[in-house]
Amino acid sequence: MNPQTVDEIARKVGDGGRLSRTEALTLYEQAPTHLLGCLADEACARRHPSGIVTYIIDRNVNYTNVCVAKCNFCAFYRPVGSPEGYVLGFDELFTKIDETIAVGGEQLLLQGGHNPDLPLEWYEDLFRAVKTRYPSFRLHALSPPEIIHLSRLSQLDVPSIIERLTDAGLDSIPGGGAEILVDRVRRELNCYSKASASEWLGVMRDAHRVGLRTTVTMMFGTVESLDERIEHLMRVRDLQDETGGFTAFITWSFQPSNTERGGMEATGVDYLRTLALARLVLDNVDNIQASWVTQGGKVGQLSLSYGANDMGSVMIEENVVRAAGAAFCMDELEIVRNIENAGFIPKRRNMHYKVLGDPIVQQREVPRMTTLAQARAANDHSVPEELVRYRARTPSGKRQRVQH
Amino acid sequence: MSNEAALDDLRATLTEGGRLSDEQVRNLMLKTDLLSLGMLADDVRRSRHGETTTFVRVAEVPVKGAVSTELRGQAMELRIIGVPDSPEVMVSAVRLAAEAGIPVTGYAVHDLLEMSNGDMALFRHLLDELLEVGLAAISELVVDRTPEPESVVSTVVDAGLAISRVTIHEASGDKRIGFLKAVAGWTLPDRGVWAFAPLPRAAVVSEPEAPPTGYDDVRQVALARLLVDNIGSIQVDWALHGPKLAQVALTFGADDIDAVPAVDAVDLGPRRTSLEEVRQNIRAASFVPVERNGCFESVM
Repeated sequence: MNPQTVDEIARKVGDGGRLSRTEALTLYEQAPTHLLGCLADEACARRHPSGIVTYIIDRNVNYTNVCVAKCNFCAFYRPVGSPEGYVLGFDELFTKIDETIAVGGEQLLLQGGHNPDLPLEWYEDLFRAVKTRYPSFRLHALSPPEIIHLSRLSQLDVPSIIERLTDAGLDSIPGGGAEILVDRVRRELNCYSKASASEWLGVMRDAHRVGLRTTVTMMFGTVESLDERIEHLMRVRDLQDETGGFTAFITWSFQPSNTERGGMEATGVDYLRTLALARLVLDNVDNIQASWVTQGGKVGQLSLSYGANDMGSVMIEENVVRAAGAAFCMDELEIVRNIENAGFIPKRRNMHYKVLGDPIVQQREVPRMTTLAQARAANDHSVPEELVRYRARTPSGKRQRVQH
Repeated sequence: MSNEAALDDLRATLTEGGRLSDEQVRNLMLKTDLLSLGMLADDVRRSRHGETTTFVRVAEVPVKGAVSTELRGQAMELRIIGVPDSPEVMVSAVRLAAEAGIPVTGYAVHDLLEMSNGDMALFRHLLDELLEVGLAAISELVVDRTPEPESVVSTVVDAGLAISRVTIHEASGDKRIGFLKAVAGWTLPDRGVWAFAPLPRAAVVSEPEAPPTGYDDVRQVALARLLVDNIGSIQVDWALHGPKLAQVALTFGADDIDAVPAVDAVDLGPRRTSLEEVRQNIRAASFVPVERNGCFESVM
């Protein structure tokens, strides 16, 4: 059979046809950037004809930076015993929630390192404490590798971990830690041991089966081939066909500064092309987010012409990509201004992409935010009081508990 | 006429070297979506420059600073920056920089005019002196700071010099487009101005307007490509606008990248240099990178 031309594939996509893996690769390799953008823009407009572009007000909190996974693309983690390692206390987290609610937020995106000195009970107690104090506040927490880490730590299977966390207050699961869902790539990034591609997808399958909704991510621009990037998208599409549990897809480029891997970041055009291709391949995922936090506000806004229908989160706080050199900030006013400037209607949403209403900044005065907060001040090495109640597994963790 | 037919009409006019009518310009600005505008600008850009994107590694030299010999082989343009105290300082800075054997550019036209007290004879004399000591081109003509730009350019060209780039210092909203139209209307001597940088260089602080967005910037670049046909290159600034926006702007009609750092900052990390990065960015935008010097000549 003759290989299809870009025009033929473009016609198929324009008619609403589903892309095969080969067709997706041909489009990525051969289609001009503007054509990819137009196709993605049309696909997005077919799915979201109202012209609404959404965003969420939430806070991206990392409860600990101590991690045993040692992914070589990560600039955020500190090894067990590092003087720069931290665990946030419950009171610190409550303060962050109070600040989030004050600017109209209703959710924490809570993720952290694989800290062997935090047992499952710590998470359960934290979630229960949050829900007791803030009953309607949502916890979008613990990516699949963290759940697998807890499963290994507590020697319980993944469904049991999900059940216990849900009982304690978990509302939904963020799609972090997916990187590229191809094991060859994961081995090279030293993240295979934290979760293989099948394990990552398995956690999401288990979560979807019990009714939890999740997002899904892709970090590209490390060692993967274009074909492997597309394989990632295909695996996501397959699971979505099976469960329908993903609310949104978020992609960003590897941020190399301060990482063991180093090297160059994928370019802005790479990002826009990848985003557009994701919109075209993932014909069963409603929402595609723009990653302004890694691309900056300008390319972030341009994403709205390349298939994105969501500007992500106001974030308030961010620690992981900042550690790798990205330090962009957009408060709600700026996000709303960018959405309107691009010709769309801004609306607040929740994690389920239910529209909550018009921007808060159009209803009342909200203080401007020009930088994203960090988990903690750099010189704050305090150890939360409640940690002493939980059994540590590592010698340094045990010493820390005794000293406290 | 349908939108698509109107775009085809514009494309035909522009790729054949024609100019747009006022009505066509109005339609372009009011009715054309961003990606269609980008496609049109890209077509026109390719008809004029093919797949080539030029870039230049620039070392900025303070007007009273010394020039490091280490820059040889790394910088392809030495750009004198700062406003000198006197014409003598101006000339002496060029003489010193020219010793490095790298094309030297420097100064803004309005500073030269001010140094000459607005006297065109003195201005011409200063240009002659600068040429004599080795200046290759005046760095910039700032649209919003230079009175009677066409006559100034003529004087510069008559003196045997050129203007490296026309820039906009500060503008927002309709003013940005207004400057494009103004520059497009100039009658310029052949090769008198090498490039036009359509994105304002300073954030507007004197107005209650918000800073430009990504849409604003790439639209401005595309419109510059479509309207300004009297200057060869449409330029974006690597250092000022950042690699991502500069690269995306290439797909919206820009064909030249200015101000790639000649010396890398130490924190770029392993396996990463500005030179590699700019080449990668140009290739990833589907163009062929060609390094040039401060005289807009290709260097191998």
